[in-house]
Amino acid sequence: MNRGTRDIWWRMAWRNLWRNRRRTFLTASALSFGFVAASLMMGLMNGMMEEMVSNGTEVVTGQIQIHAQAYRPERSIHDTMGGREGLDVGALVAVAEAQEGVTGVAPRLYGGGLVSSGDETVGAVLMGVDPEREPRVSRFASVFVEGRMPGPDEVAVGAALADKIGIAVGDEAVLVAPAADGSTANGLFTVSGIYRLDLGGFDDSYALLEMGTLQDFLVMDRGRIHEVAISVDRVRAADPVAERVAVAVAGLSPGLVTEPWSVFLGQLYFVVSLASAMNSVVAFMIFGMAIFGVANTMLLATFERRREFAVARALGTSGVALGRIVVYEGLLLGVVALAAGAALAFPLLAHVHANPIDLSAFVGTYSFMGSAIRPQLTVEYSFQEPLVSAVALLGTGVVSALLPAWRVARLPPADVLADR
Amino acid sequence: MNEHAVRTEDLWKIYPQEPHPVEAVRGVDLVVAPGEFVVMAGPSGSGKTTVLNLLGGLTRPSRGKVWIEGREISALPDKALAKVRLSRIGFVFQSYNLLPVLTALENAEFTLLLQGMPVAERRRRVRRLFREIGLEGLEDRRPPRLSGGEQQRVAVARAVLGEPALVLADEPTANLDSATADALLDVMAQLNRDNGTTFVFSTHDPRVMERASRLIRLVDGRVAEEIVSSDAG
Repeated sequence: MNRGTRDIWWRMAWRNLWRNRRRTFLTASALSFGFVAASLMMGLMNGMMEEMVSNGTEVVTGQIQIHAQAYRPERSIHDTMGGREGLDVGALVAVAEAQEGVTGVAPRLYGGGLVSSGDETVGAVLMGVDPEREPRVSRFASVFVEGRMPGPDEVAVGAALADKIGIAVGDEAVLVAPAADGSTANGLFTVSGIYRLDLGGFDDSYALLEMGTLQDFLVMDRGRIHEVAISVDRVRAADPVAERVAVAVAGLSPGLVTEPWSVFLGQLYFVVSLASAMNSVVAFMIFGMAIFGVANTMLLATFERRREFAVARALGTSGVALGRIVVYEGLLLGVVALAAGAALAFPLLAHVHANPIDLSAFVGTYSFMGSAIRPQLTVEYSFQEPLVSAVALLGTGVVSALLPAWRVARLPPADVLADR
Repeated sequence: MNEHAVRTEDLWKIYPQEPHPVEAVRGVDLVVAPGEFVVMAGPSGSGKTTVLNLLGGLTRPSRGKVWIEGREISALPDKALAKVRLSRIGFVFQSYNLLPVLTALENAEFTLLLQGMPVAERRRRVRRLFREIGLEGLEDRRPPRLSGGEQQRVAVARAVLGEPALVLADEPTANLDSATADALLDVMAQLNRDNGTTFVFSTHDPRVMERASRLIRLVDGRVAEEIVSSDAG
């Protein structure tokens, strides 16, 4: 096929497309609507997943964590980084913080114990934090309904825990916990604040203490911590940042394990991956349905023009070339629909992205897999989703044209010209 | 040069219909020499169009053979047959049958383009022929904006520009008024005379028959009579 013939097939396909403008408009509209619907659905799904991932990682865990190799899953109080000797926490934090993509680093210490006030006692996770660094990684500091982050000899508790044992800011709470030296530690702490994360498990069973206070309480040296939580600038890009951090901190102490959220929140990652796969299925379903409608329209359009095809065949055009014209028509129809769909979809996506749809009148905040899902529909988009939709749309145009093209290629010219 | 532009031998076309198959062409033997201006006449249903379709390779004979310039085309595969049509046969249809999305010039040059001729040469040939047959200035018009006579002249241009061995014209004047039909026949006669293009017509039109170098009458799918014009030769 030389350039001249290639040009003429494209030209004929393009002009044929506009012979019946109303039909082309309606067919392209159906495809455009499919593109808008697929893009919006994928965007909303992404928005929901982004919300889950953000809340799942920004509220408490961070997007990357460093632990001693033996720490998980048992989370023994003894399995601190650097073993029982501990390590240079300042150096570790500084090295991690220096890596590209890292926006915050916070060391943490954990212990299990009881929190009592009066006659009421509940089991709680005692979490040692650096009040200066913690706000860069988690939301604890920003969700205090009363009071503030704990200072020395203070404790901050979740709202549900405070309700359970009936304590308020300024009250005293008794903490009892097994210490690292085998003794039972106990002490009296002033309640500095009460937070509400709206996240099951944290509001009713976490007690925050200043790092040094908890280390002293649990009889642990200053170099002993269980975790370093790290936040990154782009949640979805946590994996490569984690790899960089792992390499950077490897020399500071043996046996450090650096993991992104996709590993330590494996279930969440699975759900997000599933949703991502679902996006492709959604696009496939939407455009799969469209294929039948468009193919039917194209069959009708080519049937109406069968005499022209027969003439072209009689003049020596090959069946393949005629089929190619029809496929080009399908592709051009897809391009037209894509242009119209994109013109509609992108402003719509941008609008919903900037103005999430508030559903709080219908449902409240829901905690799912350690993540608080707010009752709103928002759109998150990247190049990938519109690209998937665009490819699906153009594919729909081409696939829809295959059957009509095949029939055109096999037209018996004499019979058609004789209207047989 | 080949001795025959087209030749057939015991040509049959039978359409399998219920309750009885239709024998549209029954044992036609035909020889057309290069440069002839042959007219096939006969009543409707006599098999004229079917014979033209068989000669042009648009349909396959149920029995018998067709040769174009000495090459048997009856058994050629579709692709090869398309090539023969493209390079050796021109068609003029009763109802013009121009491609409506192409301009007059694009329609006329269609076969040249398929043959792979460079654009400059294509345009040169088309414009020259358009001048000769009175289509100058209409190059950019699409078929709906051309009169019937103009459309049929574009169709003739399309048929002859590729310099085929044979032009098959199926009732080309059927939809034209007398003056336009005469003008069109003048054009084809001129091409036949000047270029030696071989024409085979099917027609009811006495004006076409008058111009024939040989008239073949078909009745019920058979050659009933052949009349060679006294002007021929």
